[in-house]
Amino acid sequence: MKGLLAPLIILAKRAAWTLLTLWLVYTISFALMWSVPGGPFKSEKKIPEAIKRNIEAKFHFNDPVWKQYLDYMWDICHFDFRASFKLEDFTVNEVISQGFPVSASLGIFALLFALLFGTTAGVISASRRNSVIDVAFMGLATIGIAIPNFVLAGISIIVVVFWLHLLPASGWGTIQQILLPALCLSAPFAAYIARLTRAGMLEVLNLDYIRTAYAKGLLPRNVVIRHALRGALLPVVSYLGPATAGILTGSLVVERLFNIPGSGSHFIEAALGQDYTLEMGMVLVYTLLLSVMNTLVDFSYAVIDPRVKLE
Amino acid sequence: MPFLRKAFPYLAIALGLASLAWAVSFGTLPKADFTFDNGNEIRTADPSKATGQPENRVINALFEGLLRSLPDEGWERKYGPGENVPMTPQGAMAESFDVSEDGRVYTFHMRKGAQWSNGDPVTAVDFAWSWRRMLHPETASEYAYQLYYLVGAEGYNTAVVQEGGLVEVELDGTRRDKLQAFPRGTIVRGKVLTITKPPEPPELAKDSKANAEAKSKAEATWKESWVYEVEVASVEPSAEDPDPKQISTGGKIVCCIDPAKAKSVDAGSLVKILHILPDFEETVGVKAESPEKLVVTLKSRTAYFDELVAFYPLYPVNRKCVEEHGSPNWTKPENLVCNGPYTMQFRRIRDRIRLVKNPKYWDEQQVQLQVIDAMAVKSETTTLNMYLNDQIDWATQLPPPMIPKLKQIMPKEFPSAPMLTVYLYRVNVTKPGLDNAKVRRALNLAIDKKNICEIITRAGEVPATSVVPPGLAGYTPPPGTQYDPKLASKLLEEAGFPSGRGLPPIEIVYNELDAHRTIAERIQQMWRENLGIGVQLRGVEWGTYLDLQNKLDYHVARAGWIADYPDPNTFLDMWTSSSQQNQTGWKNKDFDALIEKAGTEPDRKKRMELLRDAEAILIEESPILPIYWYVSKNLVKPHVKGWFLNSQDTHPLTLLRVDHENSPIGSAGP
Repeated sequence: MKGLLAPLIILAKRAAWTLLTLWLVYTISFALMWSVPGGPFKSEKKIPEAIKRNIEAKFHFNDPVWKQYLDYMWDICHFDFRASFKLEDFTVNEVISQGFPVSASLGIFALLFALLFGTTAGVISASRRNSVIDVAFMGLATIGIAIPNFVLAGISIIVVVFWLHLLPASGWGTIQQILLPALCLSAPFAAYIARLTRAGMLEVLNLDYIRTAYAKGLLPRNVVIRHALRGALLPVVSYLGPATAGILTGSLVVERLFNIPGSGSHFIEAALGQDYTLEMGMVLVYTLLLSVMNTLVDFSYAVIDPRVKLE
Repeated sequence: MPFLRKAFPYLAIALGLASLAWAVSFGTLPKADFTFDNGNEIRTADPSKATGQPENRVINALFEGLLRSLPDEGWERKYGPGENVPMTPQGAMAESFDVSEDGRVYTFHMRKGAQWSNGDPVTAVDFAWSWRRMLHPETASEYAYQLYYLVGAEGYNTAVVQEGGLVEVELDGTRRDKLQAFPRGTIVRGKVLTITKPPEPPELAKDSKANAEAKSKAEATWKESWVYEVEVASVEPSAEDPDPKQISTGGKIVCCIDPAKAKSVDAGSLVKILHILPDFEETVGVKAESPEKLVVTLKSRTAYFDELVAFYPLYPVNRKCVEEHGSPNWTKPENLVCNGPYTMQFRRIRDRIRLVKNPKYWDEQQVQLQVIDAMAVKSETTTLNMYLNDQIDWATQLPPPMIPKLKQIMPKEFPSAPMLTVYLYRVNVTKPGLDNAKVRRALNLAIDKKNICEIITRAGEVPATSVVPPGLAGYTPPPGTQYDPKLASKLLEEAGFPSGRGLPPIEIVYNELDAHRTIAERIQQMWRENLGIGVQLRGVEWGTYLDLQNKLDYHVARAGWIADYPDPNTFLDMWTSSSQQNQTGWKNKDFDALIEKAGTEPDRKKRMELLRDAEAILIEESPILPIYWYVSKNLVKPHVKGWFLNSQDTHPLTLLRVDHENSPIGSAGP
């Protein structure tokens, strides 16, 4: 029984921390929104006071601050993020439920690309250590980490879209439209994974059990893929947590550049356009998501590596 | 654990594949016949609440007013590709209209056979109801002032109630949904006998130092504590409150919006109400005399009222649809009932609105395009990428640095002409130094506007010599001003500030955008060189920018104004003493009188002369410094036919056709 209880306790602890984080994030965001000058209901055309009051009443702006703070928190606890300030035809819940599948889909592609290209390049580099291929791959990886994704996006649009006429420039709805942004988004993570894999492989390839495997006369391919890779991938798995977080936040920029209607675009537009309720919803959902992802990765790490104990 | 450990790689792969399959399942959209970038995501598709150009395009596709703006028959032959085609209001939901002799009463005759997309007929009642909803304070329509030309409309919109006035009172707690103004709760109609007001709050005292915002807030709160004694003429119970107790026709009610604050009266006996508004049917100048006949009574002759009726804020909405689903849910594609040439198939936030042809539209035979995508594209660079890559057929926003080059390399796809939009600087005349008209004129004369248009904006903008943009039929502007640094420094000297000595420093406020900053920097330089004035720049965030102008807490601030209707009045009446948009502190009785006189002048020529005299005062006094007039900037593919230039840069989708065969070869992409 003890074996099952430990993870549950850890889970409960994690949940408590997550709630505390969410509360802190909520409080800070609320304070920031309150302190911005001008307020969200300003427009170039002035409106009569009677009408302004009605708008303010709709968003509870005429209540005392402490009441606004508590009421808003109460609504959020019931997963009601209220109406969007600027997208008047939608509630924040609707915007989030339209945006997240798009971002998730983009993120999944990016993550798979990162894993596929990263591990492949890492394995090849390690097994052909110090060859031309190794230097080329690792050089690429260094560039991949160094170049910010908005620069990469710009360059790839010029090359792939305008010179080669291979893919559409932007938008969402077809597989072709997913490829380029997903590749741009995955590049730094693929690069990092390649280096992790290579380092892991090099370490493992020097171990006794690999030498034993070679000595038994196994094909080098089998030794590398069957025996070495498994051990070498542990750092990669532990990197998946930060990578997911990075892809989530990185997609803010990429979505904007490729005009993808995901939550990243909503996040940025809400912040720039003073859409307070939408921004609050986005910030909280992102916080929750990052927290859950980290917990998941920690658990999966314990599952893969018997040496790791959950504490 | 060990089992889980063994299964993990397979689980991970399965999970990866499953999520991949899910991600791919978003599938492919069939291509639309015509795709254009519609700028920002629209704020709302509700005609009564929307403002802005992107909203204009979508709403014009979905809804139609009593009249619609179209070019006259045969325009395609009459006007060249580089010319503005004039548009006039033509029969739409109303087949025709008559105007009374004094120009105040418009009678619209509704079109027989005009239908909503649910099959119901569009009647005069729909318009009366839609305008009532628009004017209702709770609808909070920013464009409500477009109806202020009607008798009683402003009073209804701002809830002005007086003793002896006819009112409609909405009782608290009788609505289906507290947050929805329609369907309404129980309405008591009657006459106000007395209004009991508690003492005025200190903010409203004459010598109070509270700012305008605090004042109007205090006033609104104070009004909520007024107690009204109303003689009941009739009661209209709501569905939720079929038998309103204690209220009988012929009796009296004593009511208040916020009984807790009404100190003078026993709070227990008060009826709590949501609103007390002037009686719409009795006081506001719109009446559906029959389903076929809409009678509109204006405060005074308004020469451009037909233009206003053809502008989207006055379009109708479907009562059944709005009341059933509530606002904003009625605008969801699955709920929306509309009466325009298109219906909304779906709307993906910050992606696109897909419009499909409405088979119930009365002029359905004229509509050529079956499916249109209105793309929400935030970045101008993305728009250009999409256009060059053949993803869109019409681009409405372009990156400014690219415009001169685009004009040069694809002149055939870049139609451009002057627009009814002016870029200007407001001057706060309540600041020391700037209160002197000579100083303001000097500031105006010291700006080399040609230089700004040629070096900075570079899209063919026209340096503004006066305020009203050119291209309005029948209007001759007064003699304008030219760049004249010598005269400018002479004027400054006459004002008592030779070479700028003694003049308090000036600060230019603008909302933080590259384009505005560059222009402000150039003007800063010009004023320093030509007048010797020290100028500071202050780029602020949008809300702050509006706030500073609102509170008259600036020296000089940039602004832009787009015509609400094609008439010089839209650029002039905003500078009257009582206008909300003035925001310069400038007040001139002669100017106000001329604008008012022009408003009632029946003769078109004389009216234009009055407006011209008013503009002459505006130029002489210079509370605003016009910088340049905009030009339209669009990229349109050669296979798009029926697209034409006009001074308001609006392009009816109903006239567009796509003809891939007869487009010039080589100009389109691969």
